[in-house]
Amino acid sequence: MASQNAVLHRVGLALALALLLVMPWLLGSYQLRLFTEAVIFSLYAVSYNMLLGYAGLLSFGHAMFFGWGAFSFAVALNHFPGIPLFGAVALAMASTTVMGLVVGVLLLRVKGTPFALLTLAFNALVFAIGIKWHSVTGGDDGLSIACPPLNLGFTALNVSHGANLYFFTLVIVGAAIAFAWYFTRTAMGQSVLLIRENEERMRFLGYNTNVSRLILFVLSGALAGLAGSFYAILNSFVSLDAVSIEMTTKVLLMTFIGGTGQFLGPVVGAFFFTYVQNYLSDLTDNWPLIMGALFIGMVLWVPGGLAGLAAKLSGGRKQGDQDGTLAGME
Amino acid sequence: MAILQVIGVQKDFSGLQVLTGVDFEVGEKERFSVIGPNGAGKTTLFNIISGKFRPSAGQVVFDGRDISSLPAYTRARLGMARSFQITNIFQRLSALDNVLAGVRSRAGLRHNLLRRPHHDRDLMKRSEQILERVGLADQRHTPAQELAYGQQRALEMGVTLSLEPKLVLLDEPTAGMSRQETEEAISMIRRVTKETACVIIEHDMNVVFSLADRISVLHYGVMLACGTPEEIRADQRVKDAYLGEEEE
Repeated sequence: MASQNAVLHRVGLALALALLLVMPWLLGSYQLRLFTEAVIFSLYAVSYNMLLGYAGLLSFGHAMFFGWGAFSFAVALNHFPGIPLFGAVALAMASTTVMGLVVGVLLLRVKGTPFALLTLAFNALVFAIGIKWHSVTGGDDGLSIACPPLNLGFTALNVSHGANLYFFTLVIVGAAIAFAWYFTRTAMGQSVLLIRENEERMRFLGYNTNVSRLILFVLSGALAGLAGSFYAILNSFVSLDAVSIEMTTKVLLMTFIGGTGQFLGPVVGAFFFTYVQNYLSDLTDNWPLIMGALFIGMVLWVPGGLAGLAAKLSGGRKQGDQDGTLAGME
Repeated sequence: MAILQVIGVQKDFSGLQVLTGVDFEVGEKERFSVIGPNGAGKTTLFNIISGKFRPSAGQVVFDGRDISSLPAYTRARLGMARSFQITNIFQRLSALDNVLAGVRSRAGLRHNLLRRPHHDRDLMKRSEQILERVGLADQRHTPAQELAYGQQRALEMGVTLSLEPKLVLLDEPTAGMSRQETEEAISMIRRVTKETACVIIEHDMNVVFSLADRISVLHYGVMLACGTPEEIRADQRVKDAYLGEEEE
C-alpha cells in the first residue's frame, strides 16, 4: 500500500516535471510570462508558509523581504556595472539574510499578536526607507534594470524574457522550492514543527527555541528575497509595489487560499491567485473586492484551503501522516 | 562524589517565602526522593533544579558546576532531564518521533539544515532502544494521543530518558495511576534509573519508600529531615508533620 503510494507519487512528480519542461511550447508568450510569475510567487508563498504553516508565526510583513530582495538586486545591478547575474542574485539574498537577522533579533522577543503587529511595523519601516531614500531606491519612480546575460561558459544567454527566463526561473526558483520541501524533513525543519507542538518540552530537551525561530525567520526571509530578485528580472523594473503592504496581503491571500496544511498548498494558492487576479482585472477594476470576498469565504468555509480540500476529496489523507511531518495550522 | 548539590536554596515570590534554605546532595547513582505535604515547596524546588525558576539565594551545582543561572536547555545539554507531572509530550507525533526529539538533541542534531534524522540509522536505532526500555516497542508508530494513559506516562518517561541523562528528575511519576499501573511504573523506574542518579518528587508514600535510597522531607520551605527510608519512618518530627496526614 505504502510502496504503491510511493510509485504513484513518483509517476505524478515525473509527469509534472515533464509538463513544466514543455510549457514554453504549449503557451503563448503572454501566457508563459504569467506562468513564470506564478512560479516566482510560489516560492514567495512557500517561504511565507515556513513561518505560518510550520512554525505557527503569523507575519504581516513578508513583503519587506520580497521587496528588499528585489531592490537589492536592482541596486547591485545599477551600482556595480559588469556584475554577473548570479553575483547580483547572491548579493540580493545575502543582503536579505542580514536584514532578516537584524529584524529577527529585534522581533522574535515577542510572540503572537505583538509579533504580528511588529512585522507590520517593520514592513512599513522598510517601505518608508524605499520611498525616502530616493538616491538609491529611486523612490516613487522605482528602478529600471538591464538584466545582464547569464554566462554559461560556452555561451551567454539572455534570460530577461521568454522561454529563457522561464527556464532560468524554473531551475533556480524551483531548486529553492525543492530545498524548502527538503527542509521540512531536516533536523532543523523537524525542530520547528516540534516547537510549535510543544515548545516547553523542546526547551527541556536541550533546544534553544529562540535560536531555532531566528534561523527559520532568516531562512524564510532569504527565500522571499530570492523570489523578489526574480520578480525584478521578470519586470525589468522594481517599484515600491514590491515592498508594499499590498504585497504582504498578496502572500497572505495566496497561502490561506492554497492551504497552510500541505507543502504544496501555497504553490496551489500562488497559481490560483495569479491566474484569477489576471482574469478578474481584465473584467473589472474592482477585482480586489472579489478577491477579498473569496478570501473571507475560504477562511470561513474551507479552512484547509484548496490543497486541504483536494486532499480531503481524494480520500481523506490525514494531516501529517507523511514521514511524521506535521504541516498544518490548528 | 555528588552529581547534584543543592546549597542554601531560597525562593520567594514577591515577598512570599516558599523555600527558606534547602540543602542536600544526591550521589552519582542514588535515587533521592523529596516528599512533603501540599504547599511545602516541592514543585518550586523541582523547578529551581530543572531551570524553570532561578533561586532567590543559594546555588544548584550539577556535576561540579554552578548551574543556578543557566537556562533549562543548557542544563538539558549538560545531562539533566526532567519529566512532567502532567504528561507533556508531542501529542500528534508517533511514539518514535517523541523519543527521537531527545535522541537527536543528545547527538547535537538540533538545527542542522541538511541532515534528515529519519534517515539516520544510528539515531533511529537508539530511539527504538529507548522505546523498548519503557515497554513501547510495539507502539512505535502510534500517535502519542492515541496511547492509553499508562502508556502515555511510559512515553513521558521515554522522552525524559531519550537524553541519556546523568540525572533524571521525576515529578510525581505515578500521578493519576491505578494501583497496578503504579506497581508497573515503580519497577520500570527502578530498571531505567539503575545507572543514573534520580530525584523523585512524589506524594505517594508507597512509591517513595519502595524506590528511594534516601528521602528528605520538606515542610513549609525547610528540610525537616533527611535519611534512609527507615530513618524517615522512625522520625518523630516527620510523623507529626506529614505521615500523620496520610490517614486523611
